[in-house]
Amino acid sequence: MKAFRTMLKTEGKLSLRGMDMFLFAICMPLVVLVILGILYGNRSAFEGADYTFLEQSFGALSTIAVCAGGVMGLPLVISDYRSKGILKRYQVTPVNPAMILVVQVTIYMLYAFSSLVLLYTTAVIFFGMQFRGSYACFLGGYLFVMISMFSIGMMVGGIAPNTKIASIIASILYFPMLIFSGATIPYEVMPVTLRTVVDILPLTQGIKLLKAASLGLPISGMIVPIIVMITITVMCSAISLKYFKWE
Amino acid sequence: MQEIIKAKKLMKSYGEQLVMDSFTVTVRRGTAFGLLGANGAGKSTAIECMLGTKKADSGEVSILGMNPISDRKKLFEKVGIQFQEMNYQDNITVAELCETVASLYKAAAEPLDLLYQFDIMDKQNSPVKELSGGQRQRLFIVLALIPVPEVIFLDELSTGLDAAARRKVWKILSSLKEKGLTIFLTSHFMEEVEALCDDICILKKGKTVFHGTVSEAIQSSPYEKFEEAYLWYTEEERIDESI
Repeated sequence: MKAFRTMLKTEGKLSLRGMDMFLFAICMPLVVLVILGILYGNRSAFEGADYTFLEQSFGALSTIAVCAGGVMGLPLVISDYRSKGILKRYQVTPVNPAMILVVQVTIYMLYAFSSLVLLYTTAVIFFGMQFRGSYACFLGGYLFVMISMFSIGMMVGGIAPNTKIASIIASILYFPMLIFSGATIPYEVMPVTLRTVVDILPLTQGIKLLKAASLGLPISGMIVPIIVMITITVMCSAISLKYFKWE
Repeated sequence: MQEIIKAKKLMKSYGEQLVMDSFTVTVRRGTAFGLLGANGAGKSTAIECMLGTKKADSGEVSILGMNPISDRKKLFEKVGIQFQEMNYQDNITVAELCETVASLYKAAAEPLDLLYQFDIMDKQNSPVKELSGGQRQRLFIVLALIPVPEVIFLDELSTGLDAAARRKVWKILSSLKEKGLTIFLTSHFMEEVEALCDDICILKKGKTVFHGTVSEAIQSSPYEKFEEAYLWYTEEERIDESI
């Protein structure tokens, strides 16, 4: 535990010193929330809806940090630490080299939860958001989406041969998901044809899940998203466990 | 005297190329062993195969009576390692790196004492990447000593150190050796090898071309100086060809 605590403290400091996760996981979702709040305010999500546009978007916004950490942060740090030989160095200490991966995952979870708390407080205080669903369901779903996104990141970081390729793959996954899965641009404002296309993105499914949980909508329509997310998680975890390269 | 490091007939090849041929050494407690050879002779491969970070194709290794792969957790509480390219995170400071390394061991030395001993105490809040080559090298020796090791592996110990720093490092290591520390090092400085090593092994293209003490190495060569004898062992072929 001493090793884990110290590593978490040091790696956390290093991550904050790098600034990029602070910008992408903490500031960016907040900025998008404020913009949507100002643009759509308390307007109803659609005619006759009993929740507001912002309430409908909350689930989606909360995944921006998960996406940034899981698909961008995690693969980059893993491939960077591999190419620097840091992962290898831990093989000749009493600590399991997997510990540093656990530490990194913990850091990105902390970013995601901080962002969630910040978004929730801002939305409730400044934009009068009401949370209509069940907190337990939402948190469970949030954790589920996180595990699923992080498994993608682990896979990319684990098998990319070098930092450059890892960063290219991360960008290819991150930017489309950020823009088209509904995390920043609301799914509801997209044309129907585009919606059919973006439905293949795993985060789109995750966001549907969180939207339903935050609005208290019936869980019955959520079978497809749940199956998609489970499949992705199992697949990516299996690939990273089998092909993970320490050096 | 107790045998601390034992490697027996280690073989390693990359594809067709044999990079380590039947590497065999024994290092006794409280002695220093020097592994010599030109760049690319297979020194780092030998160290990595002994530590288990590379897998030898065949052969046996034991360090402190333990297998470096199956007894990893227990063994590496007692082993200090300085790699050739030391690996640290961007933007990490000296103090942070030392603290993190110390947290990995059940009983670690106080990093500040070691930093002081190696004259880099004043750099503890500097980022590692801003240290000069010599300061960084001293930091890496400090990191290798943090576990309070019984045996220490130093790959290219004094590369980048100035003459005074080198002598100081030798002095510290000699006194640790007297207290029972076992040292396994690679070096390109023959003066350093003469000052520190009880036994040496010279590698050429993965093959052991000499194994014994420094004075034996000189005696078995046509030269009187160790550096010349060393060159004779490693370049014999070229000399033969030119004749």
